[in-house]
Amino acid sequence: MTRKAEAGLIIAAALLAAIGVAIVEFTEGNWLDAQVALTFLAFVASFGGLHLATIRWASGASSLLLPITSFLAAVAFVEIYRLDSDMAAFQRWSLIFAAAAAAALLWALRDRGVAVLRKYRYVTLAIGVGFLLLPLLPDSWTIHGATVNGSRLWVRIAAPGTSRVLSFQPGEVAKVLITIFLASYLAERAEAMSVVDRKIGPLKIPEPRHLGPVLLAAGAAFVVLIYQRDLGASLLLFGIFIGMLYVATGRSFYVITGGILVAIAGFGAYQAFDHVQRRIEAWLDPFGHFSDAGYQTVQGLFAMGSGALTGSGIGLGRPDLIPAATTDFIFAAVAEEMGLAGSLAVLAGFGLLIAAGFGIAIRSRDRFRKYLAGGLIIVIGLQAFIILAGVLRLLPITGLTLPFMSYGGSSLLANLVIISVLLRVSHEERL
Amino acid sequence: MNVPLRRTAYAILGAFLVLIASATYIQAVEGPSLRDDARNPRVVAWRTGRQRGPIMSADGKILAESAPSETDSKLYERAYPEGDLYAHTVGFTSVLYGSRGIERTRSTDLVSNRDATISGVLNGLLGGDTKPRGVRLTLNHALQQIAAEALGNQKGSVVAIDPATGAVLAMVTYPRFDPNDLVGPDAGLVGEKLDADPNEPLRNRAIDETYAPGSVFKVITTASGLDAGLVSPSSEFADPTALELPGSDASISNYNGKVCDNGTSVKLELAFVRSCNTVFAQLGMDLGGNRLGVTSTAFGFNVDIPFELAVLISFFPPSGTIQNDPPATAQSAIGQRDVRATPLLMALTAAAVANGGNVMTPYLVDEVFTSDGTVKSQTDPSTWRRTMSPASASVLSDLMEQVVISGTGRKAAVPGIRIAGKTGTTEVTGKAPHAWFIGFGPVGAGPDIPQIAIAVIVESGGDFGESATGGSVAAPIAQQVLAAFFGV
Repeated sequence: MTRKAEAGLIIAAALLAAIGVAIVEFTEGNWLDAQVALTFLAFVASFGGLHLATIRWASGASSLLLPITSFLAAVAFVEIYRLDSDMAAFQRWSLIFAAAAAAALLWALRDRGVAVLRKYRYVTLAIGVGFLLLPLLPDSWTIHGATVNGSRLWVRIAAPGTSRVLSFQPGEVAKVLITIFLASYLAERAEAMSVVDRKIGPLKIPEPRHLGPVLLAAGAAFVVLIYQRDLGASLLLFGIFIGMLYVATGRSFYVITGGILVAIAGFGAYQAFDHVQRRIEAWLDPFGHFSDAGYQTVQGLFAMGSGALTGSGIGLGRPDLIPAATTDFIFAAVAEEMGLAGSLAVLAGFGLLIAAGFGIAIRSRDRFRKYLAGGLIIVIGLQAFIILAGVLRLLPITGLTLPFMSYGGSSLLANLVIISVLLRVSHEERL
Repeated sequence: MNVPLRRTAYAILGAFLVLIASATYIQAVEGPSLRDDARNPRVVAWRTGRQRGPIMSADGKILAESAPSETDSKLYERAYPEGDLYAHTVGFTSVLYGSRGIERTRSTDLVSNRDATISGVLNGLLGGDTKPRGVRLTLNHALQQIAAEALGNQKGSVVAIDPATGAVLAMVTYPRFDPNDLVGPDAGLVGEKLDADPNEPLRNRAIDETYAPGSVFKVITTASGLDAGLVSPSSEFADPTALELPGSDASISNYNGKVCDNGTSVKLELAFVRSCNTVFAQLGMDLGGNRLGVTSTAFGFNVDIPFELAVLISFFPPSGTIQNDPPATAQSAIGQRDVRATPLLMALTAAAVANGGNVMTPYLVDEVFTSDGTVKSQTDPSTWRRTMSPASASVLSDLMEQVVISGTGRKAAVPGIRIAGKTGTTEVTGKAPHAWFIGFGPVGAGPDIPQIAIAVIVESGGDFGESATGGSVAAPIAQQVLAAFFGV
């Protein structure tokens, strides 16, 4: 695909968002207003700007990533605008800010490339783990953690002298930093880790000392689970570790051990924690827990079911009845108003993005870049799968944002940064 | 080195295929049942939460209106300011019980046209009429109130019709219910209680219940005889204490167990005014079951009445079934045995006499108007059936006037207005009798054409119990409604 086609598709996504906003205005009985133009401009500024940054600093980059992400963001933006126009205004700024950060990263890497990330891997790890633990800061501090919906994922910074509070989810950024570290670590150790001396039956067992990383992964995920009460983030973190170990070593031993550990941890958590127990029960029988733990799942199902094949029409459904419709359940909101047609478009969009991401990883000649691209696309794919599977009742509900679609600045920032790293990696193969 | 990457890619893309399958199942297969689940708040929003147009009475009283909900800015709440008075005609829209009455039959007019269909969107884009429309009924609020007051707490029904057009002026049933309760938060509890209530408050007795018409049916038997040229008001009939029915041990006697006049012979005219069973049983046998059946069908028995709301079919034994059964014919001729009629059909019977034998199609909706008040459609009166010749109708009109002047219907008399009527007291095995009155006014032709026809039924004697008669219980109710109508 050419750069021209890429630019055309980005404009098309911006038009999609603007037309969607216009439809929302129409169904609410208003005539067109500045919101339509502002939305178009925000999409052109963010994704168009990122497109120009790519031409300038990563001219060989894949031209598949930006059209798909801008499409996903546009579809979701229409729903966010339809649900809450104030949130949509904030989302527009978040989009521009996140795109600016992603473009800045392309600029920063323009000479030395992603290899520079490899050098400072322990700094990256330290910052990543630090970010992960940031929400545990006591409430009385200026920068402190905050518990939202029972999970301690948020960090708030009270601006001195005012009542304004800046909130962000450091976990979103932490997952990127930890993935960069793992790519770098595994690029050095993978060969050693894939050497196999022992066998138990058909299963090949690596050296015991190579089990360290797996246990570390399990430990970190467990800490997140216990202290932050966040099933989704801990499952995602663990999945990234196991996925990258498998990608680097090709040893299914890691996947099998990981699976067993998840099963044990899951069973243990079910026994030990009431909130986990409630979620599992609500997952197995959401209608039986209609008024409490199953409420959100059931409201999501009602929304998607009511949408049926063609949807209620933008602005004509009731996605405002779904708890967390702009964040975790944005997919259900899209599914209600745009129907199965919209759902499949979104799922296909993610499928294309994931395929394109893995394509970049597979074509990378350098081991670090390969693991980096592979790891980052696993982050996006796994995160999207975990929350979508929760909404679609295949897994228990876990609080995770849907990349590029959910409302929220931290999530957009982290995921557009991932896109920018992928752009850079794909560019470096053409050098 | 790329094999594990490829496998991971396939695994994640495979997982997305499962997501696609799941989304398809939820939206395409489970969709309809999820959409219609009573716990789905969208059902509330869709059925009752949309803005609906007003329903008003002929004299401009608001009977149903939508106001923005205080709890959910996107929803409207439907209210019925007149409470139970119009519960069976205006009806309601409820999440649990769906829509009834006008709320159901006119819902396409009452709800907003700005919907997701292509025509809805086009309509909106082209600046068409997208706001909900209003419905003006033929019911007159003042009359409806008087009728409800007159009926009081007696089970039964009052139906008033304009004989010249078929417009229903009042339709009251008792017991009633408050539709606001079926819209509110306790709808489930209230609905269960109403459903289980042995008095059946949900039933619209005017159209959804049939009763043996008793002596009121003598109007139809007489019409049959007049039209056949078999009798005139001065025709003489034997006047026994009890009429022996051929081929059986049974006999038919008059209400008070006495002779009708002098014990030898009586004129049809007097027999009608005194409502003597013996004479009309004999007339019925003279006419035969088949001819009575044909006349009954002409009046609207055994056929569907075309009406805004579903009306039970009234029953008269069809041709052939009682032709060779004189006792059955005799009992049917005085509206007993298996004969059953809705109060609406009896009101139409009075209207037929009032309107020279022509029954107009009864209607409840006068006009549909748009949000800016312009009339979008108006009901044109149309003839439903021809029941008898204008001459027969004129004779019957005189007979019925005599009933109110000097006969069983004296309590329906309105000072200064010529009222015609017929009473009925229906024997019900093991229960107190049903009290009937049908009538119209003012009697006359030209500028004085009848303006109102009425049917009143009070079940099981109402407040009078065993001693009730049509003349003592039903006629006074009709009198109050007629007096109010004529402003007396």
